[in-house]
Amino acid sequence: MKKFKYIILFVCIAAGITACRKLNIPPKNIIQDPDVFGSTGGVQAYMARLYSELPIEDFRYSPDMGLNFFWIIKPTPATTGEALSRDQGGSSSENFGDWHWDVWGGNYTTIHDCDYFIQTLPTYAKNYTQAQVNGWLGEAYFVRAMTYFALVKRFGGVPIVNKVLNYTPGSDVADLKVPRSSEKAVWDQVASDLDLAITNLPEANADYGDGSRANKFAAAAFKSRAMLYAGSVAKYNKITLFDNDHNQVCGLQASDAAGYFQKAYDAAKMLDGKYSLYLAQWSATDKNAQYQNFVNLFSDPASKENIFVREYQYPNSVHGYDAYNVPRQLMGPNGYSSEVNPTLDFVEKFDGLPKNADGTLKTLDASGHYLLYSNTMDIFANAEPRLRASVILPGDVFKGQNIEIRRGIYTGSAAGGISPLLPAGSKSQYPTANLVVSSTAGQTAYKLPDGTLMNPAGLSGVFTGDQTCAISGFSVRKWLNPNLATSQVLENNETQTWIEMRYAEVLLNKAEAAAELVSLGQTGSINTADPFTIVNQIRSRAGADLLVGAGDATIDVVRNERRKELAFENKTYWDLRRWRIFDKEQNGTIYRVLMPFYSADAGKYFFDQRTDERNNVYNYDTRWYYEQIPGGAISKSSNLIQNPGY
Amino acid sequence: MAVGVASSCNKTDNYAAPSSTITGSTVDEGTGQTLQTEIGGGGTRVKLLETSYSANPVPLYFQSKQDGTFNNTKVFPATYKISVEGPFVPLVQTDNTGTVVSDSSQTIVLKDQATLKFKVQPYLRVEWVGKPVINADKSVTVQVKVTRGTNIPAYQLDVTNINLYVSNTQYDGQNNYDPRYSTLTSYGGSTGTALLGQTITITTTGGALPLQDAYFRVGARINAGLNQYNYTTTASVSF
Repeated sequence: MKKFKYIILFVCIAAGITACRKLNIPPKNIIQDPDVFGSTGGVQAYMARLYSELPIEDFRYSPDMGLNFFWIIKPTPATTGEALSRDQGGSSSENFGDWHWDVWGGNYTTIHDCDYFIQTLPTYAKNYTQAQVNGWLGEAYFVRAMTYFALVKRFGGVPIVNKVLNYTPGSDVADLKVPRSSEKAVWDQVASDLDLAITNLPEANADYGDGSRANKFAAAAFKSRAMLYAGSVAKYNKITLFDNDHNQVCGLQASDAAGYFQKAYDAAKMLDGKYSLYLAQWSATDKNAQYQNFVNLFSDPASKENIFVREYQYPNSVHGYDAYNVPRQLMGPNGYSSEVNPTLDFVEKFDGLPKNADGTLKTLDASGHYLLYSNTMDIFANAEPRLRASVILPGDVFKGQNIEIRRGIYTGSAAGGISPLLPAGSKSQYPTANLVVSSTAGQTAYKLPDGTLMNPAGLSGVFTGDQTCAISGFSVRKWLNPNLATSQVLENNETQTWIEMRYAEVLLNKAEAAAELVSLGQTGSINTADPFTIVNQIRSRAGADLLVGAGDATIDVVRNERRKELAFENKTYWDLRRWRIFDKEQNGTIYRVLMPFYSADAGKYFFDQRTDERNNVYNYDTRWYYEQIPGGAISKSSNLIQNPGY
Repeated sequence: MAVGVASSCNKTDNYAAPSSTITGSTVDEGTGQTLQTEIGGGGTRVKLLETSYSANPVPLYFQSKQDGTFNNTKVFPATYKISVEGPFVPLVQTDNTGTVVSDSSQTIVLKDQATLKFKVQPYLRVEWVGKPVINADKSVTVQVKVTRGTNIPAYQLDVTNINLYVSNTQYDGQNNYDPRYSTLTSYGGSTGTALLGQTITITTTGGALPLQDAYFRVGARINAGLNQYNYTTTASVSF
């Protein structure tokens, strides 16, 4: 090598090439700080990057694929019991360390980008008004808070790095190996960054007022979410881990719970009167209007319920929600459909269904025979409008079609009533006698007694050999775009807006924080009527049955309301984690499904409820409440200690 | 240049592969039997801290076998601080500020081979009462007794689950069972705890078992530590 250098030097001298005289000219091909921080356009570009890195679980998230991934075939609701998916076989932790999701390096890159912005922007403050500088700094604090939040809810205490770390070549890297802070310190960091965001941000974002960039109230709304998470961990977590310096890197002291719940309550209260529940099409007396209102809530850009959203734009930033989730009979050209099939357990949470004493759907008459219906929608005639707006029920209308869901045709006699096909609780396959079924969408019609022809299965399933269909008897409705032509139901082609934070959640955060504070006997600075008032506010909009007495609004009632209201919005996954009930709900659990059958003899439908025919068992591993820190991160920084059990 | 590339490649990794062995068992100090556990991540594992490498080393783990014995033949000779983790009272106990209050880890200087025995107090002791019985309808009924394995009040929590696992292999447990026939029971409050010390009769679910060898195991747990199960030995029937 040395020889080569001499040769190069010789050639330079011989050819009379002199070195550049001026070494202090900024390289023209590298974007420098003045280019970025010196103009509103440059700051805009920096913001675009910060927001695109913002770790939120949107249309492009699944626990298996991580953030910002296009191929969402193991959707989040299929890990929470909200739904079943043909691609999800059971409980799941998040899948880090795969090539598509660097949860550790990615989030610390975002934190670095925020730190750099916060350090550098003041140098260029003279170019802008004070309001602009404050607003942008507020946004950087907001993004940094959200990123710490994303880390602490997964891992517990993580390194806090609030200034840019610089590596000088040749220097020791020991001081770059920042150890984990206590979990409490990270939650407090989230709170203090959000407080700075609240202080610095204006009431309406000066650059974009449509909710796609943060304002004061968005920061307060996320503070209510984060502090509720922290309070729940303090109250319900049982896993602890200390480092050698007695920092509690996993877990909080139970005595911290009330303080965090109070912060959540106070932050939520900041939004009083600033946002409102969407009621544009709502009518107190018209269930259909209530249904349409709840549908439109997710697509009306004028909604005063939207607090923080992520917008998409073809072709720069797109998703494939409709392609993966439309009912089978509306399948797009890519061939995907029905990834989210709501479970019967989820559907039974809603009002307006015929129920047994134990809360399960009533499908049998007093003598133990199936109840018969002329249409599959008859059993749902009085269903809560919010259920219809969240779940496509068998036979309901979507995109002008009846979504036909039928498991098979029962050919046995209906005289004297039809007895259950299987004993109660059986996990066996359905008997083959007296049943005509279809294994795929290519069906052979069955001739009914009156001579007409009927396919054994519905157009949207259920097929016995092809799970690309309504395997639970239901298909998801929420978020689907009813105006998207089937030819356009393609991957990487959808652009409907993701609503990450809406006012209903803020209200429910407030109700839950209040209910928790009541249970802890800390009622000094809250309105103890809030849980009752808020649950009824949400239920009234949903068209659900109202609570009667103030005492009915228990913690469990508030939680259940939240699970119904925010279903399929990737929120339940985190709720089940922070309540630490994932392992209790998914404890050898096989979720239940509702299979509609047509009786050829009776000329009517009946419903059989059973466990998932695939016998997929959900067992949530308690370890997952604190996710495994990626091995690569520990290899790089041996000061990071691993979470328990990995 | 070519010479340079060639010379950089002829350094071989001449460090000898690890060949020392750590073997041993986790033993229920009440019965002297090895402590049954689950294979895979949900069961007992051995924790190695290579203290001769660093005062604060990144731990290495290897998994115990189902019967509570363990064996690793690919370990570097070094000084190790070794403990086991699983469904029993932790060997390293800390108070609520993270201070270590007791530590039953064993430190060894490993040369060729070391045999270790860890005496532990399982959260629960799950024992067969008699053998599995094949019923007339080809279902199977078993009887077990669940008792506490420790007197420490902090670990005398309510029993949350008593499950009969059915499998077609001996590797039977919470992470591997046939859901069609296994009988899983969750208990709220003290209802599970009330069954302690009694003979509990559990029958497989879902009617007749397939006419092939079937393996049975009963697991029970309290909500402590990582929520792992204590198990009986595996029993089997042949039709």
